[in-house]
Amino acid sequence: MDLGSSTFAPEVRQERKPVTEAALREAGVDLARDFPGATIDEFREYPVLSEGGWFIVIKHQPTLRTVSRKPWRLLGPVTLLTEGLDFD
Amino acid sequence: MSATALIDRDDDRIADAPAGRFGRSAKPLRDLTEAEFRGRYGSDQFTMTMLASRFRYVMKHMSTGLLNTAFSMILRDWYDFAATLSGPPEMDYAMSTGSDSMLMFMGTMPDGVRNTIEEFGPENLQPGDMILANDPYRVGLHVNDVAFIRPLFHQGKLVSFLAFRAHQLDIGGIVPAGFSATKQNVYETGLVISPTLIYRDNKPVKSAFNLIFDNARYCAMLLPDIKSINQALKLGEQLLAETIERYGIEAYLGAIRYSCDVAADAMREAIRTRIPDGVYEGEDVIDADGMDDRFAYKVKVAITKAGENLEIDFSGTSAQARTSVNCSPLDVKATVGVALKMLIEQDTPFASGAYRNIDIVMPPATICSATPPDGPVFIYWEALSAVFASVYRALAPVLGEDAVAGDFGSLMVHNANGLRKDGTPWVTAAQCGGEHGPWGASKAGDGDSYNVLQILNNIDPAIEAIESDTPVVVLRRDYVADSAGAGFNRGGAAVVKDTLWLSDAEHSTIGPMHARLPAGSGVNGGTDGSGQASWVFPPEAFDVAAERALLPVDPAIYARSEPMGGMFDPETKQADPNGDYVYFAKEKTLRTSPGTFLRYTTGGGGGWGDPLTRDPERVKNDVRDEYVSIEGAYRDYGVIVRGDPANHPEKLVVDMEATKQRREELIAARAA
Repeated sequence: MDLGSSTFAPEVRQERKPVTEAALREAGVDLARDFPGATIDEFREYPVLSEGGWFIVIKHQPTLRTVSRKPWRLLGPVTLLTEGLDFD
Repeated sequence: MSATALIDRDDDRIADAPAGRFGRSAKPLRDLTEAEFRGRYGSDQFTMTMLASRFRYVMKHMSTGLLNTAFSMILRDWYDFAATLSGPPEMDYAMSTGSDSMLMFMGTMPDGVRNTIEEFGPENLQPGDMILANDPYRVGLHVNDVAFIRPLFHQGKLVSFLAFRAHQLDIGGIVPAGFSATKQNVYETGLVISPTLIYRDNKPVKSAFNLIFDNARYCAMLLPDIKSINQALKLGEQLLAETIERYGIEAYLGAIRYSCDVAADAMREAIRTRIPDGVYEGEDVIDADGMDDRFAYKVKVAITKAGENLEIDFSGTSAQARTSVNCSPLDVKATVGVALKMLIEQDTPFASGAYRNIDIVMPPATICSATPPDGPVFIYWEALSAVFASVYRALAPVLGEDAVAGDFGSLMVHNANGLRKDGTPWVTAAQCGGEHGPWGASKAGDGDSYNVLQILNNIDPAIEAIESDTPVVVLRRDYVADSAGAGFNRGGAAVVKDTLWLSDAEHSTIGPMHARLPAGSGVNGGTDGSGQASWVFPPEAFDVAAERALLPVDPAIYARSEPMGGMFDPETKQADPNGDYVYFAKEKTLRTSPGTFLRYTTGGGGGWGDPLTRDPERVKNDVRDEYVSIEGAYRDYGVIVRGDPANHPEKLVVDMEATKQRREELIAARAA
């Protein structure tokens, strides 16, 4: 597409964080039992919006199987202008 | 598990599953034994089905009540509202039911109700309350789309929330009626209302009304509109109270949960069976924001399907725009839901359970996930239309004949205001631009040519109503020949709309925003629809009274115009996809004098299937009906139509021999 003198605004990507063995253990995952052949590097943690609002999930990336799903902040990544306002 | 327990998520699905540990399915409704069904929902299947229908009846009844009693044209003539029913906090505000109208309004309410009530505090509610909120970052959409929420109690316990999402004609901000793509921050978009009590004990909270009416214009219409909304919510409350009285609270709550589970089951099954495992990518482009044309904006989506789950990642989408063409994550969630319902699951009514197997990954501060204060949200549907087109494009290759072609993709909403001779103000919102246009074709048939975007679902204001409220004459609503994407099934044709302004007016110019990359993508071998464009014809360009004719559509007329936005031939000023781009907001406010014409031409809908396989008789009928010209029939369909469509439309004939030869030539040219 010819944009003439315009350019595309910069792209933004959602970071998917590596997870620790402790995080997988807390999620009740036994790699050998539950994901034979998988490595810890195949798991990532990131926020998602789904039924019920925002969650922080840990998923096995090749299969998208969720091993942990915890409710996140009510508005997810949005910080309201009033957030942190101290009425006391 | 009781009927009021949390909606099933992964944990529950794991518990229900027969083997393995992670990523198991919930047991489908059809596989539940009678005892399991009763244990889950508190009643039998027949009662659940009947109550689900009853909920839909209540939503429709509330909506009809508001439609019949609303005063402002945006509610009365556009049906710019939706009604919803949500469960109590312990059911995580699961939304079981929506009305038949505005899809985006319905789709944002599961989260909108939760966010509003959790901030206000459910413990602070009592019977006879009505809460409102309109912050796009809390409840989605834009500030004019106010969420009105009424808690429903049974024996002193909170059991439901009835809600209207309803557009208010004005809510303050720098532009009367609000429609503008040029607002630069939340302070310019209008009054932001955090969750606020507006009725208590069924009586108005005067300070809350004053907050609105000290900031908003046209309060003489807002006040009766809000009273109408309150009455319609009370009607819904009365009908649901009767339902609880008759069937019991356990069955009532069970039916809310059942409705959500039906939607979840159906979407999960559609994901599992209709989309092969894999990663599918799509994108769309918004031409510019309302600051200048330095930046174009891209919406990118990667849809990963694995088993019965979808993950829809918008990474790679452009950073948030500098003006109010952004939208919020809740809007994106609603749009994804509509796209998937349109493409793969049309069997069940929409409910919040539809998202149970769908995760949306949304990086912050994009044009689809703007943040305050410098990511203002108002013209949210333009970004959402790009989201919708991206999802359609991503899935088109794998859906094959089930793919649906793109619609016109951009509303080009027109907004204007001024003063009558007696000094009273007038305003028109979303009536005189390119708000209605074509849909794309599908396997079911040709695309309709006059509708709102697929993500919206409103009705079209009557010309008589527009002209009675506004000093304007709507002189043309017509279809544009050869604008539709060609196909075995043809896309809907673009719409050209001419308005003649009778007094001085100030117009907000909101688009075109899909001129560079038309939204009406063809699928399954169909071709794309045309792009959009708009023009101003100053009073000296054409005098209707002197000419005793409408403003022509003859190409020569454009030499007298000033292009407002789109792609144009710089010499002839005709729309030209290979021409020069004209930025839509080069004048933030367009001031016109009496006798000015505005012309908007929408994009065309995409075609479905190979146009060379379309029955020549259908092409001949398109020529008769002026969807396709004789030249277009030859060029795009390989059909030779002979006769005079303007003067003898029923005497057209197809030259079958010449058509056979022409189609063979076109097929050979493709192969070459």
